[in-house]
Amino acid sequence: MIELTAVTKTYRLGEMDVPVLKGIDLTINQGEYVAIVGVSGSGKSTLMNIIGCLDRPTSGRYVLEGRDLTTLDDDDLAYIRNQRIGFVFQQFNLLARSTALENVMLPMVYANVPKSERQERAVQALTKVGLADRLTNRPSQLSGGQQQRVAIARALVNRPALVLADEPTGALDTRTSQEVMALLTELNQQGITIIIVTHEPEVAAQTRRLIRVQDGLMVDALSKV
Amino acid sequence: MSKGSIPFLETLSMAVESLWSNRLRTGLTMLGVVIGIASVIAITAVGQGVQKATEQQFQSLGTDVLLVLAGAARTGNVNQAVGSATTLTWDDAQAIQAQVLAAQGVTAFLLRPAQLVYQGVNTSTTVVGTDVAHPLVRSYQPETGRFFTENEVAGAERVVVLGSKVAERLFGPGGQGTGTKIRIQGERYLVTGVMQTKGALANVDYDDRVFIPLSTMAARLVGNNALRGVAINGLWVKARNQSDLEAAQFQVTNLLRLRHDIYPPQEDDFTVTNQVDLVSTLGTVVGLFTVLVVAIGGISLVVGGIGIANIMLVSVVERTREIGVRKALGATRRAVLGQFLAEAVVVSLVGGVIGIGLGIMIALGAATGLKLPFVISPTAVVVAFVLSVVVGLLAGVIPARNAARLDPIVALRSD
Ligand SMILES: Nc1ncnc2c1ncn2[C@@H]1O[C@H](COP(=O)(O)OP(=O)(O)O)[C@@H](O)[C@H]1O
Ligand SMILES: [Mg+2]
Repeated sequence: MIELTAVTKTYRLGEMDVPVLKGIDLTINQGEYVAIVGVSGSGKSTLMNIIGCLDRPTSGRYVLEGRDLTTLDDDDLAYIRNQRIGFVFQQFNLLARSTALENVMLPMVYANVPKSERQERAVQALTKVGLADRLTNRPSQLSGGQQQRVAIARALVNRPALVLADEPTGALDTRTSQEVMALLTELNQQGITIIIVTHEPEVAAQTRRLIRVQDGLMVDALSKV
Repeated sequence: MSKGSIPFLETLSMAVESLWSNRLRTGLTMLGVVIGIASVIAITAVGQGVQKATEQQFQSLGTDVLLVLAGAARTGNVNQAVGSATTLTWDDAQAIQAQVLAAQGVTAFLLRPAQLVYQGVNTSTTVVGTDVAHPLVRSYQPETGRFFTENEVAGAERVVVLGSKVAERLFGPGGQGTGTKIRIQGERYLVTGVMQTKGALANVDYDDRVFIPLSTMAARLVGNNALRGVAINGLWVKARNQSDLEAAQFQVTNLLRLRHDIYPPQEDDFTVTNQVDLVSTLGTVVGLFTVLVVAIGGISLVVGGIGIANIMLVSVVERTREIGVRKALGATRRAVLGQFLAEAVVVSLVGGVIGIGLGIMIALGAATGLKLPFVISPTAVVVAFVLSVVVGLLAGVIPARNAARLDPIVALRSD
């Protein structure tokens, strides 16, 4: 479902070009469970942002679900993010002043889901991540693990084909990390393609494919059968 | 629906939620607009009240009437002596009647406070000594009974016509006074009629008066009080028609100067007031005052708008990460633009509505305090409403555009 061909990303810092991705060729199929690893600053997040349509490659081609994204405008990309992709961030990125329920309903606001349906689907998603009794809590009233589960519910609520998680356990302790990973694994078993950026070998070990980014290139791609 | 936009009501409720979660700041932000709108509404209302009051006065005085008062109009300081001097006489009034061609009617008046008694009911009021032309010149007729006659004036008879309020005080509501006798300063007078209700204007209540022949008043209540006959406080001149008013004013002034041996630049010992001049001068003053305050209100609105823009700019920076999250979740530029624009407009609009309410309250208080008619023009309210929307839109444009332009990855990276 994801096809990157000779994708590069170069940041311009003043007069200087800083190449971060130097030509990535990558194919990820529907239903895969992938970990992207690499040292800090190697370009993992940059790659993730491109896959997640938050950023555009400097050159190269990106085809998602058969559509070439290079020619699409910002609103098209926003629509694709909204409909096809769920995001999970290291810092959870929940809206601090909104309740768990409101946070989970947010993607449906931008999807023009009827109001009556929103609440129902958000409650379902929160129930799925085990937070049915925390609907009206604000992020500050939730533990880190609970916040990340709200974020996962939010990522799921528009029924995406792809979930991208950039260091989803980076801010969590071992036990809650495990809970979050269990959730992501379960989602993958239900057919959602999942890509996780991580530092942690234990996290990477739970996925079924490992991609290493090094010096702006993909150096190896191990696949467990 | 166009691509990437979300329903208007949705945007609005999002804006309201966001503003509500920051109530104190929102309240302070809208203060400038509140003050601006409230002052504009209140002052235009007061201005219109004054204008309406003067118009009413103008109409009740008549558009074709001159008021001549005894005593000089002193320019530059307050003139308390007008009307209380004894420089005008009944002879002056008769001379004007006889010689001023532009005058259709002339009526003299002399005022005295007096005590009235009817069957143990005691009341004090103002007695007006006048002549039979009074109803015609003042467009003021008896409601019941009749005004006194030429013969009664010639005979200085003790007859009285009551103002409606005085009649009510003496005879009770709906009581019939015509034909009975009352005492004025201890002497018995026959009530020949009760005047129609005229209403109070500014500080003069025309219904709290009684009318007797000037001759009777001079003989019984005041005494012969001037060298050249019966002194009067003033007289009303009704011109033949409105276009003759200026001619009448000119002729009356000249005739009185002649009779009083006054040669300019000698000062007149009377003043002639043309109601039209008076009202239009007042209108100009009110108009100028209104323009001034509306200008101040406008400045306050501009300042209020800048305040909103300022806070919105800060808010966009503070909420960079929120904007990043919203964009990652699928918010388009248009949706983010709409959200922040809506916030600015809601702040301004709510400020405007509060301002309108506050302005109306102030206007009501002022109208009550100043005894003015309470006038709120729908135009002012609509303009204030529209203005506050415009202020919000203008104030929100730059912050909202900044928010919409944010790159989601930069926004998500911020902390
Ligand atoms: N917006 C940017 N402008 C300039 N340099 C950037 C920008 N974003 C990332 N970089 C640089 O690109 C490199 C890769 O960053 P990133 O993809 O975040 O790495 P990782 O997630 O693997 O730690 C880093 O050196 C970083 O400083
Ligand atoms: Mg990173």
